[in-house]
Amino acid sequence: MKCLAKTVLAALFVCCLAAGASAGEKLRIAFLFQDLETEFWVAGHQAITETLRGQGIEVIEFNSNQDANRQLEQLRSAINQRVDGIMVIPHDGNVAVTMGKLANRANIPYGVFNRPPSSKDIQAVVVVADNRTIAAAAVEYMCEEALKLGRKFTPAIVVGDLADPNAVERRNGFYDAVNNPKYKDLWIDKPIEIMSKWDANVLTQNFQSAMQANPDIDFLFTSSDFLIPNIKAVLAPLGKWEKVGHPKHVIFGGLDGDKTACGQIEEGYLDSTGVQDVFAEAEMLMNALVAAIQKGDTKPNEWLYDPGFALTHGNFGDRCQDMWGCKLMFEERGK
Amino acid sequence: MSAQIEYKTEAGWRRWLRRILASEFFVLYLTIAYVLCLSPWIPYFWSMGNLTDILSNTWPLLVIAVGQTFVLIIGGIDLSQTSVLAFASIVGAALICTSLEPYIFSKCVMWGWIVAEDGGILAHSTAGFVLAIAIMLGCGMFVGLLNGISVAAFRMPAFMVTLVTMMMFSAVALYLAGSENIMHLPDEFVLLGDSYDLVSVPMFIAIGVTILAHILLRRSLFGMQVYAVGVNPMASRISGVPVRRVIILAFVISGLCAAIGSILYTARFEMGRPTLGATMLMDVVGANVIGGVSLSGGKGKILWAVFGVLFFVILANTLNFLNLSFYTIDLVKGVVIFGAATLDVVRGRIAQAS
Repeated sequence: MKCLAKTVLAALFVCCLAAGASAGEKLRIAFLFQDLETEFWVAGHQAITETLRGQGIEVIEFNSNQDANRQLEQLRSAINQRVDGIMVIPHDGNVAVTMGKLANRANIPYGVFNRPPSSKDIQAVVVVADNRTIAAAAVEYMCEEALKLGRKFTPAIVVGDLADPNAVERRNGFYDAVNNPKYKDLWIDKPIEIMSKWDANVLTQNFQSAMQANPDIDFLFTSSDFLIPNIKAVLAPLGKWEKVGHPKHVIFGGLDGDKTACGQIEEGYLDSTGVQDVFAEAEMLMNALVAAIQKGDTKPNEWLYDPGFALTHGNFGDRCQDMWGCKLMFEERGK
Repeated sequence: MSAQIEYKTEAGWRRWLRRILASEFFVLYLTIAYVLCLSPWIPYFWSMGNLTDILSNTWPLLVIAVGQTFVLIIGGIDLSQTSVLAFASIVGAALICTSLEPYIFSKCVMWGWIVAEDGGILAHSTAGFVLAIAIMLGCGMFVGLLNGISVAAFRMPAFMVTLVTMMMFSAVALYLAGSENIMHLPDEFVLLGDSYDLVSVPMFIAIGVTILAHILLRRSLFGMQVYAVGVNPMASRISGVPVRRVIILAFVISGLCAAIGSILYTARFEMGRPTLGATMLMDVVGANVIGGVSLSGGKGKILWAVFGVLFFVILANTLNFLNLSFYTIDLVKGVVIFGAATLDVVRGRIAQAS
């Protein structure tokens, strides 16, 4: 019996050593993401994991399923696994700061994808779209289309989670365009803000209420394309989901550049969308993080911007191949 | 002769299994066995960092689970603990934050009278800080009182009452903060959640709460009354137990513990979050069930809740290390809770038989 116990203990010890030894050979990067519920996050997840694995890097994935506390615990778990680098799609910009402090303290290079930290107190590689410029470009096209119709409009914006700097910058971009003196005579009133909190259910309820209170809304910008199906679900029963050129068409724009947006522009329901290049963003983040790891820089601090562009009903034929959502859509059609 | 030895061995083995299953340390044994089986495959399990991590995840959950134990023993359930986490978090953070961004918060209902650009009304003073903590605790006790009165005085089912208060106070938290996180908490407050060492402030708070709860439950008249109400409220009433008061107090303790948990989580996050704890209910109830606290009331100990929380946290920790997908993790957690509930029934029968 004693002999058996000793053998079992020895086997356990060897297993520990073997597992420990096998852990240090490859570059290991922990990738923490909040969920895979929208096309953008699915594409972002795919782009990051494929890019990393393509470089021979071991990716340790953690999905927090929209639980910020779980994401924080997962980060601590990643730190304890002594990974070489950490890439995060954080729950929100505030959580990105809390997690960044932990990664900085553990001297592990920390990269944030797309949802930037709400403060620059931490040291991180941050890849983010130039949301303000992209949103302004998309809304400017909408304004130009509105000008052509020669009448006044009731503008509205679907706002994201204002704890997320992306949402703040997209809102700022919208106002940059709408407040341009060139368009000052276009508006009946100030823009109506509809809160979504990046939650489709919240948006549906708030948008339904907004349309009840302001049935004249005919100029609408959504801060994210993933909300388009919910917006359609509210507009269609009101007879306002019509194609470009129809008298009841709501001039409609978005931001992200996902598959749904591509399809809606192609069909004529959406006027424009701001496009971030999710694949290029993933590559930028990976390159910066891997370079820092190889240099031994444990606290790289760099903000990288994706300039993006606006895909519109007007330039769809020329530029649709540059939009990640269209690429995915065309790939699926090809299959 | 050999058949007799075999019979004796089998009987001994069964007796041993029965003793293990009936033991109040069963979950602790299970935890040790689980760790021994799995740790060879997890090279970093025994690292100081991971042990610290396990403990830091244990303390806030333990405090909340201890509160839930009181309600479970009286035969109720407190679903509203998660909303207390969010409600107290937002109220406390709003009172003591040192600054706020007007472009985010100027439309929030608290702006101008509780919070402003230079922070909350109780910020920048020690007395204010202490008062804010007391108000956070008060928030939890208030929700608990509301639950307790509804259950005890109006005879409403605990499940329904606490489900409603969960919805109400989650909504209140979102309304108060305008759905935003409240950052910029003072360093003294953040220190309360600082758990980067084996010995930490949350450890002292959690152990203190646990010992107090244990004494209250096992060494006081109130504790005996809690068990009596859980076993048979009607008989307790006839025997002179103040059933209503016991039920109300159990819910108040649950709310208070949730508020203490809220303080620890808020400090750990370094922010007040209106969605804090939204997905934590399964962890709290699950840890109690795993520990052996009965959902039908009358049975449970603080020590069991401690073992349950420890097992639950170690389970989550090891599943993270195995790099499983989130649905596998939730699936495993669900199976474990189901297994624990089934085992509870088996253990109950064994106890009855012996």
